[in-house]
Amino acid sequence: MKPLILMVEDDPQIRRFLRATLDAEGYRFQEATTAAEGLTQAASHQPDLILLDLGLPDRDGLDVIRGVREWSHVPILILSARGQEADKIAALDLGADDYVAKPFTVGELLARIRAALRRSLSPAAAEVVCFGRVEVDPEKRIVKVDGAEVHLTPNEYKLLQVMLRHPGKVLTQRQLLNEVWGPNATEQAQYLRVYIAQLRRKLERDPARPEHLQTEPGVGYRLVTGD
Amino acid sequence: MEDTAEFVSRAAAPRSSRAREIAFSAAILAACTLIALALRSYLAATNLAMVYLLGVVAVAASCSRETAVAASMVSVAAFDFFCVPPYLTFVVADYEYLVTFAGMLVVALVISTQTSRIRANARAALEREARTEALYRLSTNLAGQTRVFEAARAAAALAQEVFHTTVVILLPDDGRISFRKRTADQLPVPGAEELIAQWAFDRGRKAGQGMENFGEALAFYIPLRGARDSFGVMCVLPDAEKRVFLPEQQNLLDIFANQTALAIERTLSQKAAEDTRLRMETEQMRSSLLSAISHDLRTPLASITGAASTLRSQGEKLAPEVRAELLDSISEEAERLSRLVGNLLDMTRFESGTVELRREFCPLEEIVGAALQRLDRQLAGRAVSVSLPDDLPPVFVDDVLFGQVVMNLVENATKYTPSGTPVELAAEFSSGTVIFEVRDRGPGLPLGEEERIFEKFYRGNSAGRSGAGLGLAICRAIAQAHQGSIEAFNRPGGGAVFRVRLPAGKQL
Repeated sequence: MKPLILMVEDDPQIRRFLRATLDAEGYRFQEATTAAEGLTQAASHQPDLILLDLGLPDRDGLDVIRGVREWSHVPILILSARGQEADKIAALDLGADDYVAKPFTVGELLARIRAALRRSLSPAAAEVVCFGRVEVDPEKRIVKVDGAEVHLTPNEYKLLQVMLRHPGKVLTQRQLLNEVWGPNATEQAQYLRVYIAQLRRKLERDPARPEHLQTEPGVGYRLVTGD
Repeated sequence: MEDTAEFVSRAAAPRSSRAREIAFSAAILAACTLIALALRSYLAATNLAMVYLLGVVAVAASCSRETAVAASMVSVAAFDFFCVPPYLTFVVADYEYLVTFAGMLVVALVISTQTSRIRANARAALEREARTEALYRLSTNLAGQTRVFEAARAAAALAQEVFHTTVVILLPDDGRISFRKRTADQLPVPGAEELIAQWAFDRGRKAGQGMENFGEALAFYIPLRGARDSFGVMCVLPDAEKRVFLPEQQNLLDIFANQTALAIERTLSQKAAEDTRLRMETEQMRSSLLSAISHDLRTPLASITGAASTLRSQGEKLAPEVRAELLDSISEEAERLSRLVGNLLDMTRFESGTVELRREFCPLEEIVGAALQRLDRQLAGRAVSVSLPDDLPPVFVDDVLFGQVVMNLVENATKYTPSGTPVELAAEFSSGTVIFEVRDRGPGLPLGEEERIFEKFYRGNSAGRSGAGLGLAICRAIAQAHQGSIEAFNRPGGGAVFRVRLPAGKQL
């Protein structure tokens, strides 16, 4: 059966085009226009993915994320307005999976939906992962670029591992710092920047135009393993 | 209470000058007596009276009128005692001498009165001159002042100099006179006198030492009253009490206070005029902004509406490639609109001062990478080279905002140069500054316009279609918010260079 998507969005025009798009792609969908309605429907329909607008009329969209995360790991995709980095970060830190900034194109939206669904259906296995010229063997802790082994420091490897666990998902600086360096390091963004820069030097063809370790300005990083 | 002690000791000063006068007169009269005694055997007694008259003239020339009158009387007595036989007694043998005494007394009194009047006139003339000069200096000192506080400070400094006393001007803060808002660093009076200053300010009447109200205060307070309002209070601490309390000095102080008030009033009205001018300019800018925006917003909206309505009403009759074209134009125009609105919002945020920089140390490489990634589509078909030295220190910036500078510059390069021409991004570190450049090989900048392109709503005339001319203005606003700068110039061999300078952060 096709995946079920719940859209929580109060603007009728946006709902109209989302409906058209999702329908054309063969997804099943449910609509909610308020946070309260969204929470009820999420519980009753058990969707495979939630599209969530943060600016809802009754309550903050962040409340919906909190509510849903109490009992479910269903992927949540945020529809946010441009320039609201703080909201995006808050949403991601609360457990949202990704965001698309309005105005967005259908192409972007569908790519994000596909990536989120893929992640939730097939959790990263402990098998060899390849992206571009890079090959990572988690069992042996070996990283190869173009077939040649590359030495990563323990922290670099740990950082790569965390990102590999969430391919295609944007991870906030706080999430990455917490997972690699622990909860006391969550304000030390400059560590992270230095390590990301080093990883790029080792893995990317052109570190100034990374294909895989991409920056989401003001938010965090995303590992793109090819779509 | 140190102030009070000092104050009392200065108040004693006039008494000692009176004692000096008496001693001086006594010495003169004693000298006259000695001379008279020496000449007594050679001259007639009536002629010796002249010696005393000379003494009286000397006293009158340098002492007060009272002292001179007293000296006149004493000199007649001394003349009788020492020069009129029988000597060393006030008894007079020859009653003719009574005429001499009377004549001598009258002459001495006339001399002392006239001399002191001449002196008083001379002093008054000097005072008048000093006063005229002081007022002239006051008006010239105040004329150039454009700020209330500066005007008050200039007036207080001059008053202090002219009256040889401590003068502080207190200005109101929200209708209340406050000792905190004053022209001098040191406050010469007890804080409790703030009340008296407030009283003088509220009533527009003088108060404090020697006045009807609060006469026991240490200082006295003159309100600065202009034509309509009170602007503050002049606090005068009478260091040399006598000078300030002379009626003409008091009068001059009043004129001083009045002139100062008028100057402040003038300053305020100038400021009001300036504010009005600014407001008008802002209005004008707003209306030019409105006309620019309304044009830029309407054009894409017109295309979208037109294309969409064509598709709806004639959709079936249109050839597939025409439909595709119309659809393309809808999405392109919508994108243009979105960019425009984004720029407008950014500019508004910058101008309203609500932008808060979240500065962190960040490798330039990362910012450039993210910007290029977002512009992937626009950069298709162009050779983009990035050369950043490995040892470039991280920049201390708000990565989102600075990323926007990079994006705007690169996007401009794609917009204003023929497709297929290369774009170069480069950076270097030199004497504490990171210099970042975006270079192209396009037609370059119009000569003489290198500065103007950073103005709001300026548009390169070569552009057929573009935004509202805000991109570079935003870049400049962001660079300046980071204590950096941005400039543009033509490149040797053709093309343009946009150069951003940023103070480098410390190495991690």
